[in-house]
Amino acid sequence: MNLKDDPFLNISNSITNPYIEDWQALNKKIIGYYCTYIPEELLHAAGILPYRIRATGNKDTELADTYMVRFTCSFVRATLDLALKGAYNFMDGFLICNSCDHSRRMFELFDLKVFNKENIDKKIDRFYLSIPHIITEEGFNWYLKEIEELREELESAYNCEISGEKLNHSIDIYIQNRDLLRDLHKLQIQEFPKITGTEALQISMANASVPKEIANKELKRILKDLKKKEEMDVSSKKRVIVVGSVVDNIDFIQLIENSGAFVASDFICFGTRNFHDSMDFDHGANPLKSLTKRLYYRISCPRMMDDHENRLNFLKAEIKHANIDGVILQRINNCDLHGCDNMLFTHELKELEIPVLNIDRESYQANNTRLQTRIEAFIEMIK
Amino acid sequence: MTRAHEMKNRIIPYQMLYEAISGTHSLVENILPDHGIPSLRMGLKHIKSVINDFILKEKEGLPVIGHHFAFPTEFLYAFDCVPVCVEATSYLLSALLPDGSEPYYDLITNWGHPFHTCSSQKGTMGMTLDDLFQFDAIITPTAPCDNTYASYPFFRYHKKIPVITPDLPFLKEDKSYPYLGEQIKLGLEELGRVIGQEPDYDKLRKAIEIENQVFSIQMEIFELKKALPCPVENMFNAMAAAASIYLSGRPEKITFYEEMLSVAKQRYTLKEHHGGEEKIRSIWPYMIIFFDLALCEWLDRELGMSILFDIFNYNFAEPIDTTSDLETMLYGMAIKTMEAPMVKQSAEFYYSFIDECVQLAKEFSADCYVFTSHIGCKQFGSVPQILREALRDEVGIPMLLIDLDVGDKRMTSGKIIKDKIKLFAQTLL
Repeated sequence: MNLKDDPFLNISNSITNPYIEDWQALNKKIIGYYCTYIPEELLHAAGILPYRIRATGNKDTELADTYMVRFTCSFVRATLDLALKGAYNFMDGFLICNSCDHSRRMFELFDLKVFNKENIDKKIDRFYLSIPHIITEEGFNWYLKEIEELREELESAYNCEISGEKLNHSIDIYIQNRDLLRDLHKLQIQEFPKITGTEALQISMANASVPKEIANKELKRILKDLKKKEEMDVSSKKRVIVVGSVVDNIDFIQLIENSGAFVASDFICFGTRNFHDSMDFDHGANPLKSLTKRLYYRISCPRMMDDHENRLNFLKAEIKHANIDGVILQRINNCDLHGCDNMLFTHELKELEIPVLNIDRESYQANNTRLQTRIEAFIEMIK
Repeated sequence: MTRAHEMKNRIIPYQMLYEAISGTHSLVENILPDHGIPSLRMGLKHIKSVINDFILKEKEGLPVIGHHFAFPTEFLYAFDCVPVCVEATSYLLSALLPDGSEPYYDLITNWGHPFHTCSSQKGTMGMTLDDLFQFDAIITPTAPCDNTYASYPFFRYHKKIPVITPDLPFLKEDKSYPYLGEQIKLGLEELGRVIGQEPDYDKLRKAIEIENQVFSIQMEIFELKKALPCPVENMFNAMAAAASIYLSGRPEKITFYEEMLSVAKQRYTLKEHHGGEEKIRSIWPYMIIFFDLALCEWLDRELGMSILFDIFNYNFAEPIDTTSDLETMLYGMAIKTMEAPMVKQSAEFYYSFIDECVQLAKEFSADCYVFTSHIGCKQFGSVPQILREALRDEVGIPMLLIDLDVGDKRMTSGKIIKDKIKLFAQTLL
């Protein structure tokens, strides 16, 4: 089998997909979001499709540049640009949280410039989640309260009841989804892998763009198909892990894999950060609390300012686990969070004596040659 | 046996600051005429005195506590300590040293810190990397921006300094203030454990009461700025920003504001403008430029352009109730923290910022806005165009947008900034 032409993976190449059309044909709602800190399971239990906003394929930010200064993240600018062009008009609402300074301001810009009455004639619901920046008991209680309030807002906006039973059912579907992604990840990190880093990213992106029931079905199918697939011999390639800012475009991973490397793992939010946790999930009695627990205590993103040590430990473990030869720390320009986290990693990884490449890039890389030269030089440098 | 802190100066940049302020103050006193730039003369005098006091206290062995400007300095007077504001120190040195804080920005950038982060933190990070500052502890709320969440881990994870982080919620809701009040209390208690002191809430209360007194004087000066011409010179904005950190919770702050109020009242009575003639009334909704304070004076005298206020001079928190119990005081401290300049705008949607700017333009008869888009401040990166549209549509005034680093002249030089403002001013006149 060749995953290259797999229809599920190809969902990652476009913003919308046939499953969205089918969903809306049933008069069901879609809510767009940016960040993995939002409780997808809660939306699912409300009968809503959570759709992760991305900028895949957008090569310019001309419209968005009017509203966002040049010091802002080109990924977020590219998503706004698409939204201003109407690419996200299929959404019925948006849920923004204070993930980072770039994406959190999309609440106001979506509200004022994308989904205002002049641009769109349907009702668009707006939701916001305020998430703590540190991991403490008090912070957990705050986050839980926010999620409880969101539950009430969703129930009121969509005239539905999000019962414990529905929540437990949704949580089960998402647990299964993460299990399947982890199974696929095992096929990526093994000595003779069955999927590439590029394919893993495609799967992860597609997974965030369709109903989870369909995603689970497709992931099972792919896993079944992969059983028949021959293992790849990547022994001539250097095994790397990609760490840092969001990657929502396969070109970047493909560039690395075309430069003599095999992307054996990642530490990005479209990848392992979203499914790697194997937290004990006894959700029966208080599903909302368990849901919050997982979101809050899993492997964090650098927006959590007191958890760098855990991120470092995760990275070290993954380097060992996936038998990594080199680390690619990357950030989208102007991403302070990943830029500083990567700075600390650069110094801390010295003790492992593992080669590290630290690069900054734009969300859409128009000129790949310079980047490719740097990556090729890095791969050659790895002994 | 001599203790280590008695041998080493743990706040070398404060020594540098003291010398820079002394030198500048001496020039001001000896060269300027008696009536020349009173805010500069008064501000430098008081800040010099306070910095000297900090230097003496450090020599006594008091703990050196770093803090974010969003954690008001007066809160630290619950302890016997030497407070060092991470951001203000970078920028005051940027204003007063011949090479600014650039050598320290370069130190930390060479170490791997991203160029696009906020220079207000980069300066002190560079100094700390070089061990010029040796903090016993650092306290910062989780606000107002990504730079804070991103840069402070350097102190904790690389320099192994205890960093205490009271969580400041995004959005001002009823539940936000008790939560933050509790976070401040827990933060002060943790800080106390780190430095081996109990928080002294009576001392804290006294420092807050000084701030309460300052508030009423600040409001009088603010009201006077509605007058045409504006009776307060542009330099006051810079000095008041520095005073809000260094003089916070100290009697010198009352004196500084009283002196400035007296000058403003006199000018108001005589209808005098510091620069001679007021031609343009501008509001800078964000920061002024710290690497070139002379710009303030140049605008007053060369262009007749008043800066009615910048972000540090139109956000005033209500006085804190100190007469009731500790919980009430903490609640007030939480409100003050969330209303602090930049935190106020960052901890909510920007609709109220836009509304406030429109309102201020009307109330203060502003002719224009000048928005300094600082490279570090991503949280404001989506605001300028919306603000520009609101000012155009609702007040009929233009806004100049300048991309720069307010603490580093190498990104956009003083000359380029002046040229931009000059051209903008020509279109207004």
